[in-house]
Amino acid sequence: MKKMIILVFLMEAIGTLQAQDRGTILIKGGTVLTVTKGTLENTDVLIKEGKISQIAKGIIAPAGVRVIDATGLFVMPGIIDAHSHIALDAINEGTNAITPEVHVADAINPFEVDIYRALAGGCTVSHAMHGSANSIGGQCQTIKHRYGVYDGEQLKMEGAARTIKFALGENPTGHGRRDGVQPQTRMGVEFVIREAFSEGKEYMEAWNSYNKQKSGKGFRGAPPVYSLRLETLADILKGNIIIHCHSYRADEINMLMNVCRDFGIKKVVFQHTNEGFKVAPELAKFGAMASVFADWWAYKLEVYYSTAYNAAILARNGVVTSINSDSPDLIRHLYHEAGKTQKYGNLSDDEALSMITINAAKQLGIENRVGSLEVGKDGDVAIFKNHPLSIYGVPQMTLVDGVVHFDREKDAADMRIMVDPKETVDIPTIHQATTHNHENCMQNMEWLLNVKMFGLNR
Amino acid sequence: MKKIIYILLVMSVCSEMLAQGLKAKTGVFALTHATIETITQGTITDGTLVITNGKIQAVGTNVTVPSGAVIIDCKGLRIYPGMIDGGTRIGLLEIGQIPQATDQRETGDVIPQMKALSAVNPNSVVIPVTRVSGVTTVITAPDGGLFPGQAALINLHGYTPDQMFTGFEAVVLNFPSSGKRGFFDRRTDEEVKRDSEKALKLLNDVWDKATQYHKLDSATRGKGVSYYPELQSLVPVVRGEKALMVEVNAAKDILAALKWVSERKIKRVIFSGVSEGWRVASDIVKANIPVVTGPVISIPTRDYDRYDQAYANAGMMKKAGVKVALRTLQTENVRNLPYHAGYAAAYGGLSKEDALRAITIVPAEIFGVNQQLGSIEVGKSATLFVCDGDPFETRTQVKQVFIDGWQIPMTSRQTELYEEFLNREPGVSKN
Amino acid sequence: MKRISPNRPGRYWILLWMLVLPIGMYGQSELEPVTRTYALTNVNIVQAPGRKIDLGTVLVKDGLIISVGKNVSIPPEAMIIRADSMYVYAGFIDGLSRTGVTRPKEETNRERPKDPGNPSNERAGITPNTDVRNLLNPSDKAIEDWRGAGFTLANVVPYGGMLPGQAALILLSGRTADDLVMQTNTGLYSELTGASGVYPNTVIGVMAKWRDLYRKAVNSKNYEALYASNRNGLERPMSDRVYEPFFPVIDQKIPVIFKAEKLLDVQRVLTLKNDLRFPLILAEVKEGWHAIPKIKATGSKVFLSLDLPEEIKKEEKKNDQKTEEKPKTPGEIEKEQLEKRRNEAIASYTAQAATFQKAGIVFGFSLLNTKPKDVHTNLRRMISAGLSEDAALAALTTSPAQLLGMSDRVGTIDPGKMANLVVSDKPFFSEKAKIRYVFVDGVLTKLEVKENKKTDASVKSEIEGTWNTTTQSPQGTTTGKVVFKKEGGGYSGNISSSMSQETMALKDITLEGNTLSYKYTLSFGGRSVEVETNVTIEGDSFKGNTSVGTFGSFPIEGSKNPK
Repeated sequence: MKKMIILVFLMEAIGTLQAQDRGTILIKGGTVLTVTKGTLENTDVLIKEGKISQIAKGIIAPAGVRVIDATGLFVMPGIIDAHSHIALDAINEGTNAITPEVHVADAINPFEVDIYRALAGGCTVSHAMHGSANSIGGQCQTIKHRYGVYDGEQLKMEGAARTIKFALGENPTGHGRRDGVQPQTRMGVEFVIREAFSEGKEYMEAWNSYNKQKSGKGFRGAPPVYSLRLETLADILKGNIIIHCHSYRADEINMLMNVCRDFGIKKVVFQHTNEGFKVAPELAKFGAMASVFADWWAYKLEVYYSTAYNAAILARNGVVTSINSDSPDLIRHLYHEAGKTQKYGNLSDDEALSMITINAAKQLGIENRVGSLEVGKDGDVAIFKNHPLSIYGVPQMTLVDGVVHFDREKDAADMRIMVDPKETVDIPTIHQATTHNHENCMQNMEWLLNVKMFGLNR
Repeated sequence: MKKIIYILLVMSVCSEMLAQGLKAKTGVFALTHATIETITQGTITDGTLVITNGKIQAVGTNVTVPSGAVIIDCKGLRIYPGMIDGGTRIGLLEIGQIPQATDQRETGDVIPQMKALSAVNPNSVVIPVTRVSGVTTVITAPDGGLFPGQAALINLHGYTPDQMFTGFEAVVLNFPSSGKRGFFDRRTDEEVKRDSEKALKLLNDVWDKATQYHKLDSATRGKGVSYYPELQSLVPVVRGEKALMVEVNAAKDILAALKWVSERKIKRVIFSGVSEGWRVASDIVKANIPVVTGPVISIPTRDYDRYDQAYANAGMMKKAGVKVALRTLQTENVRNLPYHAGYAAAYGGLSKEDALRAITIVPAEIFGVNQQLGSIEVGKSATLFVCDGDPFETRTQVKQVFIDGWQIPMTSRQTELYEEFLNREPGVSKN
Repeated sequence: MKRISPNRPGRYWILLWMLVLPIGMYGQSELEPVTRTYALTNVNIVQAPGRKIDLGTVLVKDGLIISVGKNVSIPPEAMIIRADSMYVYAGFIDGLSRTGVTRPKEETNRERPKDPGNPSNERAGITPNTDVRNLLNPSDKAIEDWRGAGFTLANVVPYGGMLPGQAALILLSGRTADDLVMQTNTGLYSELTGASGVYPNTVIGVMAKWRDLYRKAVNSKNYEALYASNRNGLERPMSDRVYEPFFPVIDQKIPVIFKAEKLLDVQRVLTLKNDLRFPLILAEVKEGWHAIPKIKATGSKVFLSLDLPEEIKKEEKKNDQKTEEKPKTPGEIEKEQLEKRRNEAIASYTAQAATFQKAGIVFGFSLLNTKPKDVHTNLRRMISAGLSEDAALAALTTSPAQLLGMSDRVGTIDPGKMANLVVSDKPFFSEKAKIRYVFVDGVLTKLEVKENKKTDASVKSEIEGTWNTTTQSPQGTTTGKVVFKKEGGGYSGNISSSMSQETMALKDITLEGNTLSYKYTLSFGGRSVEVETNVTIEGDSFKGNTSVGTFGSFPIEGSKNPK
């Protein structure tokens, strides 16, 4: 039985090893798609201690450094998904219209095999988001797919910008209708957000005033009541948190821009925004960014009048646009989704690739770290056989911080880290409907949706 | 005089263009200088294809273009037969979250008499969006309990379901499942097992009755039986006149279903879904049952499956000898069918040719419509599309689509929105 | 505990009394014990892990241990218990359970809450001011059952949501609720449990609410202090029963006892501790070994769960003549690999205690999810996996005493400490050891020993057929029907009950002589619960008890249906 203990210790050791890992590795002879600085044929990429230290032809590997032969292969920056819910045990605290105090980082689950599968699709970073049941939802967490760690803390991308989820339209109004509270209409959504911001503003002013006074001589007074919720709203007003707003219709996109303008908020990214293309000039003028689906539509009324040309139109009108997955399936082939912008709008290769790399990085406030292959950036790389925008593009290896976390040839089929000791070995889950798994945004809300447990097309 | 002719010419061209915008046109067409992928008879380079009376009248390199034909120069372009999707809900489902706009699921566990065909909305917004991408023919199927109804194979052109109908209908059987049904299925393992046993009992019950009904009906020449729509619609399957499309996915269930159809001696069977077919491929081959599988681009059924297992499933089955067609099981993104085929090729060891066959001639054969559809051959229906590259690649544009010889307008709500909003007028300022 | 001492008859009269009184009484009788002085003679005394006296005497009086050793003089009024060659240990201590705590009534037909974002504190599960002492039920059968497994003290908490209330350390013996309580407010109990249908519903809601409440409590405490120092000119502080229970925690005087079963729970609770800096006891930890570095770094205390996942019995290989090696199908290989991984997982769980021992962490055990009859088996499994017997004993005695700040009163067999003792007929961790006597606060319980298998072969009860059963539970009387059929070398069967329409298959049917046990799974509302029934058969009837998951154990009777 001592063997068991050794095994246990070994497993733990491996876990910590991979976590602290910042790799040093040389990727030789591939076609390097930098995304921001053109395509470089037959070029090497050297990563030292997790950072790209050199991109040039003919780099000689330092002693003892592993070399990946990328001859005939394509080397691109690790893909970034700006809208995801993988690696989370809880997604929606949907019981109140305003819940900015909650943070999905408290629910990170580093054992979800979806993380590995995302890596197998070249995706190295994802924006783990709160759901869309609330007008103002919870704070989100940008994570790096360092699959293999046992501690969720180690998935968090250090230094990433703070972000928070807002939602407009049918999802938050549905909540209100079921519980008999505001908002039940798009008018109500605007009011609920304005009210929250106003209360946050009052809170901020009350505490500022108290803090100023309390250092004064002989001051005795009660502090304002503490509220984590209002404190977070104050942080948004101060510009410390980027708003990522789930939205569809042109009028509500417009509404939020007006509200933000009134409160001096500048950093907004509209998510899904299927009708974003209808207000592209306004978005560009405000400086808001957009993160959209490649071609999902018609699953709800608010997306009935949308078009797959959305991303192209936004891009052509000067809006920084990314393509996201909002799905554990799509996150595995975002490069294929990006390819659709060439069918629907004739975007160039670099324009299409930007949508799953540097543009997403900008939206998450991490463009200094990732999103392109440039010296100084993180060693997050995806290596493809055939061009990533071709249907025949198959990811071969994916590196995070210079460490190989996915290797198509070497990895076993069963990549689970921890196994439930009580599991029955034989019961599969049949994913029959990959039709718009928008259910992801409403997870934890089954009791609200009264969903019939058939899991088939809705 | 020249001026009048000129004006008349311009007017006719203009009206033609206006008409062309919204309406499909029929007549005689010649598609010239194309690379023609016939599917069954190889590739023809610099070929010409002539369409008359809705059919392919001629195909080849030395084809005479009939006089009066509308000539479409396809230099640098390719022609393929219209793609066939073996499982969708097109026409039945409009907006998933609005019950009033969903017609694919009637209430009741045993309702094989419900016909999807009757409920197809020929004017669904989804139809133009789909067909301009080259998917011309789809199975549209009901969903729900044990016997949810009858699926139908329709062409995506026509103003009534009858105009769209290709002639193939099948009774759908959702074989009792021992697996969980997706993220929201929170039943315990015990409950899953119990539900599946209950469903199997019901299935056997119903089939016994259907068999009895058939015998009684045969013996009395239809006079000794009363109105019993559920059993009446199963009788053609009992008699081998209509196909039974069995939706089954888990490996264990596939084996159970194979056993069941064999015991019940069901003559015309198609298995659909079959996500775990790769685990039991040799058994499927032995039973000689064709398979419609998909969606290819999907998550594996088990946490411990290889990450690309769903992509590889179709190819692995084909390699073992199974007859495999593909489906998207989509409604609004059936247009992605060629990409599913592309993934099956890239990951599943399916050659590009076989992947293409799996969305053209193979489903046509499985659904018994290969006399009209599925390949480019003289005498077949002129249901095809013209594109500028490999149809599996996302950068390829589809230029023309024909269904039953009708030239389909290459517009849809989505292209119209593109045209209106690419350069919106007015822009930010209203002036 | 004050008792009126009876008149002291001479030794002769005591012997007479002993003959008249029923021997082998199980549990408390209505009558006062004759004496409060006991001498355990000729017993192997394990005073503490690593400290043993072979064949000595332990003298107990008025609830305290008086003397321990080889030459102990026994006073005349002592009742002598000849524990020949048996083994006595300090009574075991449970770090967390709900033994003796009344379960609140199930709320049926709960209305959909209006304004779920602003529920009452009760609805939200925020009731830190609930004192478990108000919920104690001294006649809870669980108290008796745990005592029979050697436990003398339990740290118990109320039922509830995220903050059910305050814990108390109780003795597993007493007639009134006050009798039971040994120490109040041993900790503020918490779980990462959301409220159904209202805020906070998910773990992220609970974590945020925790931070919000704690910081509000800190502010409230600071303001109360400021106000108390000079009330002139200040707004009065708002009195809030929800914040006050946090004050001693903020002062680092009492810990937060946080239930954290899985690894992610442990990590989340540790994150909360790092954010708010409260003293922490992690309890019912089942999967904590990966968090050991963090547990050490934060100085958190730990109670490991005594519950273990079931071992999968290997299928016995039939000894056929042909042992030809058939090439394995991919399906078989995959199944083997999956089973291997699952078994490795089970092994890791079983080795958890050993891992904590090797890491030098002092830990106790909590019984929240364990059944009394599984204690011995699970401890033996842990020992097979590398936990030393001394460490196991420490986790049952000295360590929990230390973690709960009770080392001066309990945990070892030393003069002056509480008379909490457990006597087993063989060394406790050996396979067939059975507990014979338990002392709680100096009150003796003698345990019935089941008749041995000498009568096995002669009495082979016949169970095949249909039995009608009646079970008594808080729900009232439920009837059921159990059917047994001979199958293979054993039996198969099913059960249906008046509570559900379903018929459930029985598993693990074991019949030894006239002792029958069987198990089945009850499913309702998406949950499933393991039910286990143990009965003794007498002719055409049986009697025993049936335990339903962690809900408790209820008496059951059955009679055979003649056919």
